[in-house]
Amino acid sequence: MRNLIFLFLLISSFYVSAQKDTTIQLTFIAVYNIPQKSTELIHLQDSAFYSNDKDSIEIRTLKFYISGIELYNKGTSVWKEANSYHLIDASDKKTLSIPLSFPTSLDYTILSFNLGIDSATNTMGVQGGDLDPMRGMYWTWQSGYINFKLEGSSPLCNTRHHAFEFHIGGYHHPYNSLQRISLNVSKDINTVAYIEIGKLLSVIDLTKTNQIMTPGKEAVWIAEQVKSCFYSQVDIK
Amino acid sequence: MKKLMVLLLVISIATSAYKVTDTIHFIVPKGWPQPEYDFTQNPLTTDKISLGTALFYDPILSRDSTIACATCHSNKTAFAQTDQSFSRGIDNKLGTRNAPALMNLAWNTSFMWDGAVKHLDMQALAPMSNPDEMDESIKHVVSKLQQSKHYPMLFFKAFGDSIITGEHTLKAMSQFMLTLVSYNAKYDSVLRREALFTQQENNGYRLFRANCASCHREPLFTNNQFENNGLPVDTSLHDNGRMRITQDSANYLQFKVPTLRNIQVSYPYMHDGRFVRLQQVLNHYTNGIVRSKTLSKQLQQRIVLSNCEKEEIIAFLATLTDKNYLNNVQFAYPKNILH
Repeated sequence: MRNLIFLFLLISSFYVSAQKDTTIQLTFIAVYNIPQKSTELIHLQDSAFYSNDKDSIEIRTLKFYISGIELYNKGTSVWKEANSYHLIDASDKKTLSIPLSFPTSLDYTILSFNLGIDSATNTMGVQGGDLDPMRGMYWTWQSGYINFKLEGSSPLCNTRHHAFEFHIGGYHHPYNSLQRISLNVSKDINTVAYIEIGKLLSVIDLTKTNQIMTPGKEAVWIAEQVKSCFYSQVDIK
Repeated sequence: MKKLMVLLLVISIATSAYKVTDTIHFIVPKGWPQPEYDFTQNPLTTDKISLGTALFYDPILSRDSTIACATCHSNKTAFAQTDQSFSRGIDNKLGTRNAPALMNLAWNTSFMWDGAVKHLDMQALAPMSNPDEMDESIKHVVSKLQQSKHYPMLFFKAFGDSIITGEHTLKAMSQFMLTLVSYNAKYDSVLRREALFTQQENNGYRLFRANCASCHREPLFTNNQFENNGLPVDTSLHDNGRMRITQDSANYLQFKVPTLRNIQVSYPYMHDGRFVRLQQVLNHYTNGIVRSKTLSKQLQQRIVLSNCEKEEIIAFLATLTDKNYLNNVQFAYPKNILH
């Protein structure tokens, strides 16, 4: 019996080593401004305040879906993550890093992913794991995942408790809010994807736009702005 | 080592015991189209259906455990609520649309009067979290179920896992709803050549086919589309219908074409339950149509029916009442599970 188990272990370890996989971590870090200006990270557990010349902002919730992670070399896709759906919650550290394993021989310069959930998945039956509707990123009054959720407050908002709420989603043409994001990366080095929340809030006029909770034109516009707030460490240098 | 072997043995027995649960084959009535629902993603089993039945009848789904699905969807009236145009939800609150009858949901391409929900699995989330209905979140429902005495065991029996998830909760609920197939009305017997229409019913059927069947398409008696059927706008509600979902003015005042199966018992009628009798519905189609930009193509030409012809259509519609469906004990309150 013991021999049999030993044999099993031997075979499985051989199998694993034959794969020669490299594993890197893709880590999301939410910052108010990109690291050169301020290295402060948003720690949502302690409700962080940020201020610029005209405003002081509190971020309460930052959650978003990352899906369809893919590596590219010279414009060609060389690797796709299987079953690639991840809910990133800035207040929950264990959601911030995604391990990616791919063949060691792979050359790549670009890592790309969707911000949000594709329309096919939106119309499928209920899914588990990060896609489980109990994660709070699914609209209930109408079908569809919330791709990106940002909640907080700013004195600029003429709302109850000066709150702003952006629940960005929608998968139907013409209001599909899904965005494809591509980051420059270095081969076989852990990748940090920064999301610069201050940049997003600087382009939104919070006096006028502070509650977006449904799919539509405004939601698509916000999603496009969020897209331009992502940087890798390579992009920043 | 021996301990490990025993553990492995126990695990393998436990998993194999779970796997013996027989998958129930979903029967498509003869002459019906293939269902929309993808059963390969959620194969029916007896234990999952029983769990779904319990969830459907259990007010634990609402914030204060007062409202169950069955509160507004009664099996005796094809899962409609016949005494109210708008159902009373939590804290006696009133909604703005009529609780529809539930049947043949496996064939639906969308749910809700405005098609807001695309998949049956996700349907229960809407009433569950509506502040006027159950005012509860799926996350909290899952934690209440987990803490309850009997649900972890029921989930284990159904899914081989006593850790309850939103996915398993919603899949079980779909399983119960998928079993709600109404296909044994007199109409079906006539089609199967097991019964005959009366002269009046037969005339009604002919008139129905000429005037109503393009939207209420056989055998499901709906085309699953959205139409503006010319109802005058209720200015106290200003319900835009499908336009709320698509934000497209072409969908202004469009609502889902409902099935007419069991229509006799599932009054009141229309998305806002404004009509109580079928006579009123037919009077609307002959004399009450309000013309507007989005009025259904099918209603552009005026429908002319004599009183006698209306009676004939109503007689035909009564042949869509499926007593086997209304009295099916498998759809009733699960006394053996809920106490």
